[in-house]
Amino acid sequence: MLDNELSTMDYHALNAMLNLYDGEGNIRFDADRMAAKQYFLQHVNQNTVFFHSLDEKLGYLVEEGYYEEAVLDQYSKNFMRAIWEAAYAKKFRFPTFLGAFKYYTSYTLKTRDGQRFLERYEDRVVMTSLALARGDEDQAMAFMEEILEGRFQPATPTFLNAGKASRGELISCFLLRLEDNMESIGRGINSALQLSKRGGGVALLLTNIREHGAPIKGIENQSSGVIPVMKLLEDSFSYANQLGARQGAGAVYLNAHHPDIMRFLDTKRENADEKIRIKTLSLGVVIPDITFELAKKNADMYLFSPHDVEKVYGVPFSEISVTEKYHEMVEDKRIRKSKVNAREFFQTIAEIQFESGYPYVMFEDTVNRMNPIEGRINMSNLCSEILQVNEASEFNEDLGYAKMGSDISCNLGSLNIAKTMDGKDFGRSVGAAIRALTAVSEMSAIDSVPSVRKGNDDSHAIGLGQMNLHGYLARERIHYGSADGIEFTSVYFATVAYHAIRTSCDLAQERKASFKGFETSDYGSGVFFDRYTEQDWLPQSDVVKALFEGIDLPTRDDWAALKADVMKHGLFNRNLQAVPPTGSISYINNSTSSIHPIVSKVEIRKEGKIGRVYYPAAFMDNDNLEYYRDAYEIGPEALIDTYAAATEHVDQGLSLTLFFPAEATTRDINRAQIYAWKKGIKTIYYVRLRQEALEGTEVQGCVSCTL
Amino acid sequence: MKDMHTTKITRAINWNRMDDEKDLEVWNRLTVNFWLPEKVPLSNDIPSWGTLTDHEKQLTIRVFTGLTLLDTIQNTVGAPSLMPDAVTPHEEAVLTNIAFMEAVHARSYSSIFSTLCSTKEIDEAFRWSEENPHLQAKARTILDTYAPGNDPLKRKIASVFLESFLFYSGFYLPMYWSSRAKLTNTADLIRLIIRDEAVHGYYVGYKFQRGYEKRTEAEQQELKDYAFALMFELYGIENEYTEELYDELGLTEDVKVFLHYNANKALQNLGFEALFPPEVSEVNPAILAALSPDSENHDFFSGSGSSYVIGKAVATEDDDWDF
Repeated sequence: MLDNELSTMDYHALNAMLNLYDGEGNIRFDADRMAAKQYFLQHVNQNTVFFHSLDEKLGYLVEEGYYEEAVLDQYSKNFMRAIWEAAYAKKFRFPTFLGAFKYYTSYTLKTRDGQRFLERYEDRVVMTSLALARGDEDQAMAFMEEILEGRFQPATPTFLNAGKASRGELISCFLLRLEDNMESIGRGINSALQLSKRGGGVALLLTNIREHGAPIKGIENQSSGVIPVMKLLEDSFSYANQLGARQGAGAVYLNAHHPDIMRFLDTKRENADEKIRIKTLSLGVVIPDITFELAKKNADMYLFSPHDVEKVYGVPFSEISVTEKYHEMVEDKRIRKSKVNAREFFQTIAEIQFESGYPYVMFEDTVNRMNPIEGRINMSNLCSEILQVNEASEFNEDLGYAKMGSDISCNLGSLNIAKTMDGKDFGRSVGAAIRALTAVSEMSAIDSVPSVRKGNDDSHAIGLGQMNLHGYLARERIHYGSADGIEFTSVYFATVAYHAIRTSCDLAQERKASFKGFETSDYGSGVFFDRYTEQDWLPQSDVVKALFEGIDLPTRDDWAALKADVMKHGLFNRNLQAVPPTGSISYINNSTSSIHPIVSKVEIRKEGKIGRVYYPAAFMDNDNLEYYRDAYEIGPEALIDTYAAATEHVDQGLSLTLFFPAEATTRDINRAQIYAWKKGIKTIYYVRLRQEALEGTEVQGCVSCTL
Repeated sequence: MKDMHTTKITRAINWNRMDDEKDLEVWNRLTVNFWLPEKVPLSNDIPSWGTLTDHEKQLTIRVFTGLTLLDTIQNTVGAPSLMPDAVTPHEEAVLTNIAFMEAVHARSYSSIFSTLCSTKEIDEAFRWSEENPHLQAKARTILDTYAPGNDPLKRKIASVFLESFLFYSGFYLPMYWSSRAKLTNTADLIRLIIRDEAVHGYYVGYKFQRGYEKRTEAEQQELKDYAFALMFELYGIENEYTEELYDELGLTEDVKVFLHYNANKALQNLGFEALFPPEVSEVNPAILAALSPDSENHDFFSGSGSSYVIGKAVATEDDDWDF
């Protein structure tokens, strides 16, 4: 079609043309670019409030209570003019319709009636940079450069909220423990409401709650188990949302050996009774190694009453390694138990994953083996990439703290792998990202949930993620999951780990402080560094060497020097890396999501706020389509191998989704789970299915449905 | 005492002896596609419903009431009337599944209503559906063809037209809303219905073609004339129905193009050539692209998507656990 014909069309229709081949069987990238252009001409430009000068604009936004005055007061007028000028000089343009549409519907500052735009993309980037740099001009400029050039992208809560006067929290994610008493459950629900209102995803641990039919005050058959708690949480999350900007969302985790485990899974069945059906709450199962061993022997697996376990061991169920104590608990008469066949348990998980995509899985022993911090990891979060230790709280009857434990929060941001490689300076890019994320941690104090505030103050945990792996590899004409692709992943993540730790060590020297528990961690003892000083993590193949040409990679000696520095000066952040699934931000940043393969050459994206929109994979054109095989074609093994290479260098987790065609069976899913566990994967996020249209019923010429 | 002279043998259905492999293929597809409206978090659409104008709300309720009526016909008359004509026992089994899912569809619209609207609005819309001449004319035309004694292949023609053509003037609206970020969960539910109806129309059309092949040339010509005549009649009604519903929103032209596209599709299911030339069947890409349910990448926190299915359970073997 001719340009002038396209230019008369509505931008939604233009964008949808991306999903329909043209007469020659080509994907119409031009239509999507035109959609982005028309979106600006037809909608954005007409609805943007105009200001004559920056001073007028900032004056108005502060006076009207849109911008936080304290953020701007830290800088001189001259500097602000300079940073805005530098930002606009970069001539940023959204390359896709979805990127622009997503930004303007969900991120940019609007008038209170929601009708007119007060910011362009550059304004949002500068405000985020000014807020995070807290008055440091050089740093503000560095943050602006990294974000606007697309190397670093803060997570949604930070990018959405920074610098705005009425806003939610900058933190992405919260993880709370629940203990086996009404005070803890009640306080937990209150915390879920409070955190949801402020914009984070919240995960709660149910493992410690006594099972259905357990005694209360010694009277048998009294407890209702975990399901009613889940119902309460589900309703709480749908009630609280962040000024309507983000829907409240929550997850619950349960240990595989909890007696309610099968009921827990059945809540997601297609034919579940309305009373127990869970629609929007996400589920996660914590699986220890012993469960795999039992399944291997085709044996039954015992489920243990958390109430009794706590009585016998004097600590909550989640503090116990089920693998370690399994046989001891089986023999112990004081612990009531039931059993299910271990293979049937795995098969049930796969069946439910077919029907709903849930549950997430956390491989408990893998996670704890690879945890450099003292303590136990017993749960993950809404996106299954946060893996940190926690500590139980005890409550008085009035819900005050008898003993304040420690709960988990995490703020996230991701590097665009392609842009970071192009920038060639990992020290600068990773360094800026770590400092920006640390700023979020230091600027946050969640007073409504003191155990979270304490956890953050003690740990300054952050999660630096990565995205656009597939886009980068395809641009370089390397297949995702190929030997070169996996080698690249390993070298890249090792390099990021080095610079992340290096920066955190610098921060420890500047702040003269380390995270609480540094001395007893593998960083403090230096053990953590052994694998980097005993072996090189440098490229071997010529293809991968060529990719890293001109980039300074850390050698064994560099790692040894880093080890000495860390042991001497400490580390400011207890946790540094976590690879989130990156939905929205990867569209804005023009990336493929996370380190996943693409789901489709043209992705159909559907969300409450934006409706149904079409998104082309990053760097794709009609000449390099062969490098854009999608996740269903690539298959689970290549994906798991890629993740395994990255996992070695990530101290927390990585959201790993598995993709299957609808013709797959539960056995295929189980095999992939076994393979993932064997390869040292820490968590599995969703299972996604794709059903091909029955021959004869497909929509003709549709890019996302014909392969 | 026993009535000894009834000698007709009742046969048990044997799925291991297939007369037509298509029966099994479609059965498998329909069963994995089983769903219930409760899986879709419709209540997430309440805020979006609130942003529609009164007129848009009324239109939406009416469109869904019209769809309910069609699904009711298919559930209680359409699919059952095809059953006596079945040539294989497996075809009968597939038709029972179709009949049941039509009931699920009819039920689904009520789930939408009860989530989004007041009782008064719902009652008003149902009364409207009983009084609307175009809607009633549609129903009557189809029901007449379904009547006993009619040629079984004519019944199939009517069924395909209903499944592949008549529904779409209604399906247009939720697809339109969802392309504008409104009522997206409702659209998910409708997409599940479309997923089913596509298979139903295709399957009945396939069975029509097998029967058609066995007829004489003269009979074939008569059936084809009948099909096109019926299509013209229904198309006339649909045009008026569309104008009445969509004129005020200014969408009529767009919906009509969509009708052409689907009329062609329905005829194609019967094995006939297209009626409308391509230039008047170029559907708005936003609507066309919205029809494909597969491979959608949704955000799990605001909806359940329309791509999950009932999986095939296969036990793991010892060598799967080789570690």
